[in-house]
Amino acid sequence: MSIEVRGIGKHFGNFTALDNVSLDFPTGELVALLGPSGCGKTTLLRIIAGLETAESGSVLFHGEDATEREARERKVGFVFQHYALFRHMTVFENIAFGLRVKPRRERPGEKGIRDKVTSLLKLVQLDWLAERYPSQLSGGQRQRIALARALAVEPKVLLLDEPFGALDAKVRKELRRWLRRLHDEIHVTSIFVTHDQEEALEVADRVVLMNQGRVEQIGTPEEVYEHPATPFVYGFLGSVNLFHGRAHDGVMHFGNLALDAPEHGGAENALAVAYTRPHEIEVGRFAPGDPGILARLKRALIVGPSARLELEREDGAGMIEAEIPSELHRRLALREGDTLLVRPRRTKVFLNAA
Amino acid sequence: MSFALRTRHSVLPGFGLALGFTVLYLSLIVLIPLSAAFIRTAGMSWEAFWRTVTAPRVLASFELSFGAAFIAALINAFFGLIVAWVLVRYRFAGKKLIDALVDLPFALPTAVAGIALTAVYSSKGWIGQYLEPNGVKVAFTPLGVVVALTFIGLPFVVRTVQPVLADLGRELEEAASVLGATRRQTFVRVILPAILPALITGFALAFARGVGEYGSVIFIAGNMPMKSEIAPLLIVTKLEQYDYAGATAIAVVMLVASFLLLFALNLLQWWARRRGGQDS
Amino acid sequence: MSATFALPMAEYRFPVRRRASGESALVKWSLIGTALAFLALFLFVPLAAVFHEALCKGLDAYIAALAEPDALASIKLTFFVAALAVPANLVFGVAAAWAIARFEFRGKSLLLTLIDLPFSVSPVISGLIYVLIFGAQGWIGPWLQSHDIKIIFALPGIALATVFVTFPFVARELIPLMQEQGSEEEEAAIVLGASGWQTFRRVTLPNIKWGLLYGVILCNARALGEFGAVSVVSGHIRGQTNTMPLHVEILYNEYQFAASFAVASVLALLALVTLALKSYVEWRVRHETSDPVTVGPQE
Repeated sequence: MSIEVRGIGKHFGNFTALDNVSLDFPTGELVALLGPSGCGKTTLLRIIAGLETAESGSVLFHGEDATEREARERKVGFVFQHYALFRHMTVFENIAFGLRVKPRRERPGEKGIRDKVTSLLKLVQLDWLAERYPSQLSGGQRQRIALARALAVEPKVLLLDEPFGALDAKVRKELRRWLRRLHDEIHVTSIFVTHDQEEALEVADRVVLMNQGRVEQIGTPEEVYEHPATPFVYGFLGSVNLFHGRAHDGVMHFGNLALDAPEHGGAENALAVAYTRPHEIEVGRFAPGDPGILARLKRALIVGPSARLELEREDGAGMIEAEIPSELHRRLALREGDTLLVRPRRTKVFLNAA
Repeated sequence: MSFALRTRHSVLPGFGLALGFTVLYLSLIVLIPLSAAFIRTAGMSWEAFWRTVTAPRVLASFELSFGAAFIAALINAFFGLIVAWVLVRYRFAGKKLIDALVDLPFALPTAVAGIALTAVYSSKGWIGQYLEPNGVKVAFTPLGVVVALTFIGLPFVVRTVQPVLADLGRELEEAASVLGATRRQTFVRVILPAILPALITGFALAFARGVGEYGSVIFIAGNMPMKSEIAPLLIVTKLEQYDYAGATAIAVVMLVASFLLLFALNLLQWWARRRGGQDS
Repeated sequence: MSATFALPMAEYRFPVRRRASGESALVKWSLIGTALAFLALFLFVPLAAVFHEALCKGLDAYIAALAEPDALASIKLTFFVAALAVPANLVFGVAAAWAIARFEFRGKSLLLTLIDLPFSVSPVISGLIYVLIFGAQGWIGPWLQSHDIKIIFALPGIALATVFVTFPFVARELIPLMQEQGSEEEEAAIVLGASGWQTFRRVTLPNIKWGLLYGVILCNARALGEFGAVSVVSGHIRGQTNTMPLHVEILYNEYQFAASFAVASVLALLALVTLALKSYVEWRVRHETSDPVTVGPQE
């Protein structure tokens, strides 16, 4: 089932949580809502689930307006960040809950419930835990049970609110791969909220980047990482170096460097910032007359095949982070304190707003 | 009873002094005097003891004390839950003041409560004048005892249920509603089971307090033997007649009953902790 | 078994309107109405009645009832007894909390249960047990009589019974509080070279001061108002062994209703002061422990 949201707005007091947000979630995709805390992603998810009411706009399920439907009538699966398992019920009863509260004529018989719960427990690979209470499970197990519980009512949509947020790093990694495999198996339209870019890029078919209640960019993980649409997205997805300068007639000038920026052909001596990821930076020995920015190597950290360099700009404009193959690091025989020449191989230029 | 020395080394001083003083003070004020009641009774023959505590007037007083306390605790469990719910979930004018006043029965001397309730519920009182013409006599009847014990036990259920309800977390209710539960199903299947241990605890505390209550009851009860005479009053009456043995025998029955209740309550809490775990 | 006065550490905030788990306005307001009606019937009306009855014969009669020598004597005795009982239980409460919350030893849970014991004993029985020991027919009654020491039907008996009924108040506030706080701060102080007393005074005491005050407020309220236990050991000698609650009873039984309610109104006022202080302490604790930054949307 596809989901659309149209012009959603929501405030908490003076705080704008969502500012006229419109999005499409096509059938069968796994979409990540990614952004820093306070960007409105959880609020949006809760509005889709019917747990929160929007001040304006509408939510459409499969083209049908569901804005006025109550949460219990929307038939969505929702997985809470802190699991929200019923602590007085066994794992089995937790999963069976959604079936047991169905109206009598829709409710499966005791055997139907048992079969369904057992198959879900197998799906989440925890069938041996049926009679335990939630307090006796680990965090990762609880999250999988919460997912099984949400799936029991065969929702057409699965919504996950920071599903791995409360878990430690190792379990997190395992679980997100597992979630991806699970999604490939059941193909339910799924939206999950996360503030962890690595998680979003690894798991999702598409990523929606949000900031301050607005959508910044929508795209596949590769698109958003390789071609960030806004400075915010650039900064949020991985580390980035900023070079301040001026753009004029399709060329960006900073230091003694001039870089092509054809997208700003109309700019006239406008303040601009060039964004460059650490691995897009070239480092070389200083030679008089060569173009580049002078920087002193403060620290080099070699981790496996790559070397991470921390460089301090000689003109006092801050630090530059570069990532080069460790092989190159060895060949250049770099030592801390060396003065080097730094050049961005690829940049994306944004004009300063106003 | 033995308190073994500490099993883990600690750098903090004062263990011997603090524990020694605690145990000494506890023994002098509580344990030795309480044991006096049991030792006194041990001096009685079993037959004499049995005759004393099964005398019709004594049995009638037990029935009243335990029965009225039970009914009052039930009333408090029902309305206390509503009060706790309203105080946790809703906003309305004067809520803070009302929240504070719920503890009034803990702070108001029982004698004051007793005469106030009598004044209000007697035939000419503010509330009694409307009840009496309708055939409901409260003051100077067993019903009066229930009213006094309801007053005395009122905060227990509210104060045990309130924090549990507050920390229940709205996620649980949201989870239930997303899974398709109606509001009623959510209450019966999710909220009620979660607060049940607290509700039973509050009920038991109110009941225990009601069984032993004296000050607030004696004014409103009328104190007619066999009809509206509570067990603690019978103890006082026997004491005034210098029937120490009789008074002590009744006291021992009541003490044993309240210790059993205390024990049951500890079991309940242990069970609730084990079942519920410390976190969700 | 007792009043479960736990310090409410944080108040849960529910958003004003949420459709997922909210009742309809009709259900909401009927629940509020039911709760208020119940509280009115059992709490507010009787409380108002105390002041109404006290003042129904006029202000002069009210003042005269309080200025009467026996009434004054009862007020004095009541405060004197509280001034004995509260500090005694305060010292005990701190010692017990220090031993239980800071050290591990066997028999701890038994000790905890025993400390709570007085709450589950009927007030009348609390008085009775002292009569059984110190009374004329008691264990050491004859010996006391021959040495002309009066405990029962005298001040010491009243004080002892009051100490018994207010025994657990301070301890049961401090023990959970100190357990929750843990002993790291005290250990740090000791490692930094503080003596045991310095550690207690400079680290422990500031951390537990509100809990301590809370316990003292509750202990004091019960000490001022205890009726059953004191009634059994007092002997009801006017002007000598009558506390305020007992004086209320005597006047009431003599059909001096206005005078009885006048003394009762003083106790009711003290109860209201107690509730106000208690709310203030809870408010302080909430403000000192809550983090003002966490207000806002949850994400």
